[in-house]
Amino acid sequence: MNAIKQIWLKEIKEELYTWKSMVWLVVTAFLFSFTTYLLLTNKELSLLDQTELLFLLSQIIIGVGLLIITIDASSIITSEFEKETAESLFLSPIKIKDFILGKFLASFTLWVLIFIIATPYITVSSAGSNLVLPFLGYVLFLGSLGVSAFIFLNFAISLLYRSSKNTLTTSLIVLLLLAIPAFLSSTFKNNTLGSFLGKVNPIDNIFGFLDNVLVDYHTRLIDNWQFFVPVIIFFALMLLFLIYAVRVFKRRGLIQKEL
Amino acid sequence: MKKFYLLVLILSNMLVISYTSAQVVSSSLMLNILSSNELNGTAGDYVTVQAQIKNISTKPQSNIVTYLSLSDNDTKLPVDLEDWSAEKGQFIGSIDPNQTFPLNWKIHFVKAGSYSLTVIAIIEGNSRPEISTITHFTVLAKKNLNPAHVLPVALGTPIVVIIFLFLIASRRKVDY
Repeated sequence: MNAIKQIWLKEIKEELYTWKSMVWLVVTAFLFSFTTYLLLTNKELSLLDQTELLFLLSQIIIGVGLLIITIDASSIITSEFEKETAESLFLSPIKIKDFILGKFLASFTLWVLIFIIATPYITVSSAGSNLVLPFLGYVLFLGSLGVSAFIFLNFAISLLYRSSKNTLTTSLIVLLLLAIPAFLSSTFKNNTLGSFLGKVNPIDNIFGFLDNVLVDYHTRLIDNWQFFVPVIIFFALMLLFLIYAVRVFKRRGLIQKEL
Repeated sequence: MKKFYLLVLILSNMLVISYTSAQVVSSSLMLNILSSNELNGTAGDYVTVQAQIKNISTKPQSNIVTYLSLSDNDTKLPVDLEDWSAEKGQFIGSIDPNQTFPLNWKIHFVKAGSYSLTVIAIIEGNSRPEISTITHFTVLAKKNLNPAHVLPVALGTPIVVIIFLFLIASRRKVDY
């Protein structure tokens, strides 16, 4: 437990004590400000009902969170290999499980910070709609599930590739493959293939869940199980993929052997 | 002689009046907007313009096209109804004497302002269109988000984040 905490705190300090990392949070705040300003002033967007505006804002928050976490998590493990600090790290009595958990908590903390920045925007935009708490709760809950799954994916790819560039490229491709159809209009889902992909796509289901909560007022978890199940399955699959990647990593050893 | 001139004047006036009346009577269709009082709303609302066309002539009328005309009272310009999601013109094949037809257009209030609406009917072969009386209505601005709440957050949060991060960074020398 102490090892996990140490790795987590080390990563947090590295995140917060470098301008490069802090710029992400400032960019996030500006993105949310820009979005809410547009929702307020744009002629066409301001015609939408408040609930649809909230849904749009929730998509932006989750989308920005996934993008930033994907970029951050793709280098948090590989940097240890590229800076050649991995060897000394694993010579110390640190289990790989603690190493992964510490790194996971560090990446997850960045998502929590993004959510904290999003909180005032969520609160003011949903004022008067009785949706403040469901909006806050479900963005945190679904965002955490989605972000955790993407961190697992990134860590798995990191352990397999051991290269930031390859990990980042692969992770971004996966994120785009899942996010682009989710952001596209419903016309994409009019055919059988589009409809099927929409049902299994975790990002699509996160947005479907939020749409059901914020636009249709179905705020109970049980009313949204059809969206919730694919997200949980994706989360479990990514966790299994990470476990598989850890086993492969152990088998190959720190100094990589060709299998 | 004076009496004769007076008689000629009266007769000529009567002739003019009867000619003008004939012009009005020659109007073969009567158009009414029925939902005048229900048209006020807020930007973003969908409303239905309900109108009625009646053949007030003694012979059937055929090939009639009816459509809406909307103008912005503030800018004094016609409004592009395509933006307002209005349906296109409605075609009436034939309408018998004294027969009435309902006309409905669903429109989407896009922009706040004051507007004037008329229904126009064009009969094939006629050189003049038939037009309803003008209905005036107001579209109120839609305020989903309260600017007094949203703007301080939109402008203030990035500043608060920058100050917060600057304070954290100033506790320790920052790496670049």
